[in-house]
Order: sequence, then structure tokens, then C-alpha cells
Amino acid sequence: MQLAKHVKFREEKFGGVLFETRSEKVFTLNATAAAVVREIAAGHDQKEIAVRLADRFSGSPAAIEREVAGLIGDLQQKGLVEDSARG
Amino acid sequence: MGSSEDLTAPLYVAWQVTNECNLACLHCIEESGPGKAFKDELGRAQVFDVIDQLMDHQVPYLSFSGGEPMLHPHFFEMVERVCARGGELKIETNGHYLTQENCERLKELGVKAVQVSLDGASAATFGRMRVRGNFDLTLAGVRNLHAAAVPIEINFSPAAFNIHEADAIVDLAYELGAVSFYSGRTMFTGNAVKAWRHLAVSEEQYKTYFDVLRRKADECRGKMRVYFHEAGLLEELRYRLKNPAALLIVLPNGLVKLINALPFVCGDFRRQTLTEIWANFRRAWQDPRVAKFIDDLASDPGQTRTLHQWVSV
Repeated sequence: MQLAKHVKFREEKFGGVLFETRSEKVFTLNATAAAVVREIAAGHDQKEIAVRLADRFSGSPAAIEREVAGLIGDLQQKGLVEDSARG
Repeated sequence: MGSSEDLTAPLYVAWQVTNECNLACLHCIEESGPGKAFKDELGRAQVFDVIDQLMDHQVPYLSFSGGEPMLHPHFFEMVERVCARGGELKIETNGHYLTQENCERLKELGVKAVQVSLDGASAATFGRMRVRGNFDLTLAGVRNLHAAAVPIEINFSPAAFNIHEADAIVDLAYELGAVSFYSGRTMFTGNAVKAWRHLAVSEEQYKTYFDVLRRKADECRGKMRVYFHEAGLLEELRYRLKNPAALLIVLPNGLVKLINALPFVCGDFRRQTLTEIWANFRRAWQDPRVAKFIDDLASDPGQTRTLHQWVSV
């Protein structure tokens, strides 16, 4: 899993922004979403991300896993994240 | 394009790298043309300093335009610098220098896309708008882009004499292998002020035009994106006044404009850092002179003729 080819991520004080440079659409991320995207950009898969964030954020691991899965699903649906195999 | 509020840096920088151009288009908002380079355009060290600042601040997306950007003496070095540092770069060109070799080089350097202005689906209409331009050479350039696998975008500016080609120009863009087609309203500024009697499009013509583009967008869905901006200038500026885009317009001499359709300058890369300019950009949108200029446009749309008389805010 990785950020799609034309998607750029930048961290901000409020979290971060994803910029889809083909459509010139901007997606604002809160701190939690930015943390997930940072992990995706670092090359971690969904399970690893859930484990790593459970170490850093309060809340049950199951709830964090669900939140991570939901967010990644949303990012995939918007074409912001793709499988690494697609290059 | 997102709002600038709370961002640490712009998300998009549209950089007019030179005002020199081999063409002298009737509608050119920059009044570019042969011999029209500014006397004080940024030198090599200055342009690299600007690029490095933009990349240091992770500005994700840049465009190089002009004038004709490929006439800039350091064009390919600049492209290489941006792409090597991970910036997504679009080149906006008239297409006359898109040789096979140049297209292959742009591909190798990794530009995001090359946007070519094609203001006619025939040599006659193209030549009328793009004075000194060569239709066949432009098409050959676009085909060279396609052969080199560089993503192609086509931009079309409507005028009284070419607007009837709406269907044909979208079809031509698709045939040429474009991934996107862009259009909107032609602005009453720059060279267009003198040529307006040849260019002016009525509201009725615009309505028909945008209806055609809507239909073409549906037809092209999944094959080529058809983008068009129906809003008039006043509507767009009123929206931007409340929601400034996270976009800086950099002029060839390093001055920074709030937005192309306003005369206001909010920074100078020769004297200020990106951080200083970005802070002033956000403050400058609140300057009462900006709101007044936009309000005055409602009663005098023709004041866009003064966009080149820069006002510091």
C-alpha cells in the first residue's frame, strides 16, 4: 500500500493535507488521519499501522483497527492510496 | 484548490518564468510576445533559490508558464531541479518547441503533465488567435508528447471566431491523446483589451458553448477529463475573497501576485523569503483595497484592463 502516484502529503499543525495533483483536489486531515497517512507513506501495511498507532493513541486496539480500516478504505475509494504492486 | 487558512506554505505555485514568447496571441493576458521579456527577470541563481525554498517547504505542485516557458535560458535545469526534489510540475506551453528530443527529455525528467494551448480546431481559427503561431507544428509537438508518453493537457480559449469549434476541439484533444481538456471564459485584460471586438463572446454563445462541453464531458467520461469553468470573473473573485486559494502567482521578476485576475502584489522573491511572502499573502487578502477592487468590478468590468498596473498590498 502506498500513496497514489500523483498524491502529495504534507504535515501541518492541524494534521496534514493530501493534494491530488491531477484533479488539484485538496483533502484536509485531522491529526489521527495524518498519522495514518504518515504510516502509509512510510510503507507500512494496514495491520502494522493499527499496531503502531495503538501504541501511540489511547483507545482499544480493536477500535483503532476499525478506525484505521475505515480511513484506509475511504482513501482507497478516493484514489488517494493504491496497492504497492500497481507501482 | 484548498483554502490558504492555517497552511504553513502554499499548495500550488503558478510561476510565469519569462514574459518572452515567440507568439503574440490576441488574448494573451500577460501581453507576452517577441522581445517582451521583462528587463528585470530573475537570473539563474535567483530562480534556483526560489525553487529550493518551494521544495524545502514541500510545495507539492508547481506550474511553469510564461510567455513561453521553454524559451527561458535555464528551462530544463529548472525542470530537473523541481522534479529531482519531488515536486509535481506542469509545463504550460504553446507547443512550438516540443521536438521529439525535448519531449523525451521532459519524460525522463518526470514532469507531471504538459499543457498545450490549442485555441482552434483548424489552422484558420488557430492562426487567428495565436498570432505567429503554426497549427501543424503545434499538433506535431503534441504528437511528440504522446509518443514520449508525457501526459497531455489541452487548453482552449473561446473567442467569437472559434467558439463554434467546441465539439471539434474536444474531439481533437482526445484524438491527440490528451488526458485532460480545459476551458473557461476569455478575460478582458492584456492583449485582449485591444482585440476585444474580435474576441468578445456573448452570454448566449457562452451558454451554448458550456452546454456542448457538458455533453462532451459525459461522452468522454473515463477516457479524457473535460474541465471547464463557467463562472464569470466577478463571481470567482467574490468567492476567492472569502476563500483564498493556497496558490501563489510568481511573475518573471520574482514579484508575487494574489491572483492573476487582480493587480495586487503581495511579495517579492528578490527581497523576501517564501515564509514572509506566504504570511503577507494571507494578510493581503484582507486589505480593503482588494475588496473594493472586486466590488468596483460589478459596476465597471472593464477595470480588468489595469491588471498590469501592479499595486503593492
